[in-house]
Amino acid sequence: MAVALSGQGPRAAALPGRGRWRLKAELEGYAFLLPWLAGFLGLTLGPALASLYLSFTDFDLVRSPRWIGVANYARIATDDPKFAASMHVTFFYVAFAVPLKLAFALGVALILNKGIRGLPVYRALFYLPSLLGASVAIAVLWRQLFAGNGLVNQLLAPLGIHGPSWISNPDTSLYTLIALSVWQFGSPMIIFLAGLRQIPKDVYEAASIDGAGWWRRFWNITLPLLTPVVFFNAIVQTIDAFKAFTPAFIISAGTGGPIDSTLFYTLYLYQEAFAFFRMGYAAALAWLLVIIIAAFTAFSFLTSRYWVHYGD
Amino acid sequence: MTKTRISRRALMISAAAVAGTTAAGWRPAFADDIRLRMFWWGAKERAERTEKANRLFEQKHPGTTIAGETLGWSDYWPRVATQVAGRNTADVLQMDYRYIFEYARRGALLPLDEYVPKDLNLGDFSPAAVDSGKVDGKIYGVSLGLNSTAFLYDRQLIQTLGLKEPAWSMTWAEFGDLAAEITKAAKKDGFYGMMDGARNEQALEVWLRQHGKPLYTADGKVGFEEADIAEWFGFWDGLRKRGAAAAPDVQALDMGEIDTSLLTQGRAAMVFANSNQLVGFQAAVKGKLGMSMYPSGGAGAKPGQYLKPSMLWSIAASSKQPKAAVEVVNFYMNDKDVDLVLGVERGVPASVAMRQAVEPTLDELGKAQTQYVSFIGDKVGALPPPPPAGAGEVQQLLRRVNEQVGFGKLSVADGAKQFVTEAKAILARG
Repeated sequence: MAVALSGQGPRAAALPGRGRWRLKAELEGYAFLLPWLAGFLGLTLGPALASLYLSFTDFDLVRSPRWIGVANYARIATDDPKFAASMHVTFFYVAFAVPLKLAFALGVALILNKGIRGLPVYRALFYLPSLLGASVAIAVLWRQLFAGNGLVNQLLAPLGIHGPSWISNPDTSLYTLIALSVWQFGSPMIIFLAGLRQIPKDVYEAASIDGAGWWRRFWNITLPLLTPVVFFNAIVQTIDAFKAFTPAFIISAGTGGPIDSTLFYTLYLYQEAFAFFRMGYAAALAWLLVIIIAAFTAFSFLTSRYWVHYGD
Repeated sequence: MTKTRISRRALMISAAAVAGTTAAGWRPAFADDIRLRMFWWGAKERAERTEKANRLFEQKHPGTTIAGETLGWSDYWPRVATQVAGRNTADVLQMDYRYIFEYARRGALLPLDEYVPKDLNLGDFSPAAVDSGKVDGKIYGVSLGLNSTAFLYDRQLIQTLGLKEPAWSMTWAEFGDLAAEITKAAKKDGFYGMMDGARNEQALEVWLRQHGKPLYTADGKVGFEEADIAEWFGFWDGLRKRGAAAAPDVQALDMGEIDTSLLTQGRAAMVFANSNQLVGFQAAVKGKLGMSMYPSGGAGAKPGQYLKPSMLWSIAASSKQPKAAVEVVNFYMNDKDVDLVLGVERGVPASVAMRQAVEPTLDELGKAQTQYVSFIGDKVGALPPPPPAGAGEVQQLLRRVNEQVGFGKLSVADGAKQFVTEAKAILARG
């Protein structure tokens, strides 16, 4: 310590003007940062810490929170069948929606990458559902599409298929939500498209000269060189899927029905908080979700070294 | 030059104007300038009537303004809870019999006894009507109207089909038969005589009371047993299998609000509802609607239905202007002019004088409601104690278990067992 201090002393003394200038620049930097910092501390970190505290309490919004230790977490772990049900629904949703959506997005990106005319138009068109996707209007539309007398069944009728009311049948309702998620393939598609542009053309040329077919080129060149983008998209989409809320909330009017078949974890959390006023318990559920998402992301990063190929 | 000068002057004037309005916007309210917030749930019709009533109050009480806020039923309660937690509650808020005990006991509402009768005149209220707003002996809410459960049906359709209308004297089985006949006569794919009432908490309560059992006891426990629920589920399972009551995948689209109800959606001819909702339903349905009591339960059955406050005005304990808020509530309860604006959209006025004032001005729907409330007067039982904490979750449970039975995932007996077990667990947790 002493050495470092005595070492710095003369330098600071030698350049008094510059030191003061640097301090001023730093202060200016922090001043510019201040609006964001205030927002982060007041609107993100503060409430997050408060919710961490509340997760150890019994809190009904009206009476003051009462400290109950880890009782909320203990109940989640040992005595909550609805927690298990909502976990099942959420993991099923993540496991199907994310790969399907990524595959679909990659497929469309590959087609668009062929250099077809009017690419910007298609790109914008395909991106549109991603912009609309989380909205209430789309969820309402989905309800109409997949109802018993909805458009989907009307299209199936000429084929001789008498479809059920997809949206209100516990065996099919979750699939309609997965379809809704896949339909919003726009944002991963745009990222895939950008990734495909990065792959050098000469690699493909060399492969073609060596007699590699389309599949071979895709499997041995495109996919490996695209893995960083796949990795990025997979992480973002997985986190998104874990957090999915609006479609299920609108389509089931907040119940997660029929028979809890669309009871996403976030929806269950919302019910506990705002329908049954168990804020402490809901806060514990929320923190568990944070841990689950963090674990998934960490797991992805750990395995990434085995399958993600960076250019270097 | 001239042009420049004018524009400069114009600029000055507009700048002054901007400064003036900004200053006006930020100026502190004068001491005698009272601003109140009022919060209620309901649809468009109620919002329009309430706003009109508030303008009337402002005219008669210069210096006081009321800012109204409104939401649908299911969004309303989370918002109230959040506002109470944030110490940001509206001064005057609409309460439901279901929630008033919880909020009053948690200290969120203002006891109104000290304002009666000088500032808050309840002289025209029957003792029962005053009591309906009492919690632990103190007045925390004042009834905005009386209602009861009611069976609403498409009268036009039933008449066209040449069938007889449902009547209060019919038994549950006879109601089921009628529903089956309607389904058969209507001959429409996906159209049923009536909704699946098994999931309807109010229908279950009326049916239980006819059997001499409450839905919830006074000490907040379930008042029914597994055998009762098995009989209830079994009855409706039979109706579903006969096509009399809606199939589960049709019923699942009903989210419990007027606009998603099977009657509104044109998928069923008869539904369980509340008497004051006749106005809202008729606004959404083309055919002429009729209203009847729930099935009587036949000879020997006890009265199942009861008259209850459809909603109450309460005042937040945190209100900085309690006196002005009481004035507003008093206005709603006793001013004949406001009565004419509100009509019976919130239910039939609890005050006898107000009821008499409003009666001659009512349209057909309004008259049907007052007649209904008078008609059932001697056929109803006592108001039950308010449901315990957790009752909302049990309501949702009833719906879920009934779906499990309807979709064939559980037998009637297993469904009854699961419902009772889970309901007890929910109430124990509170």
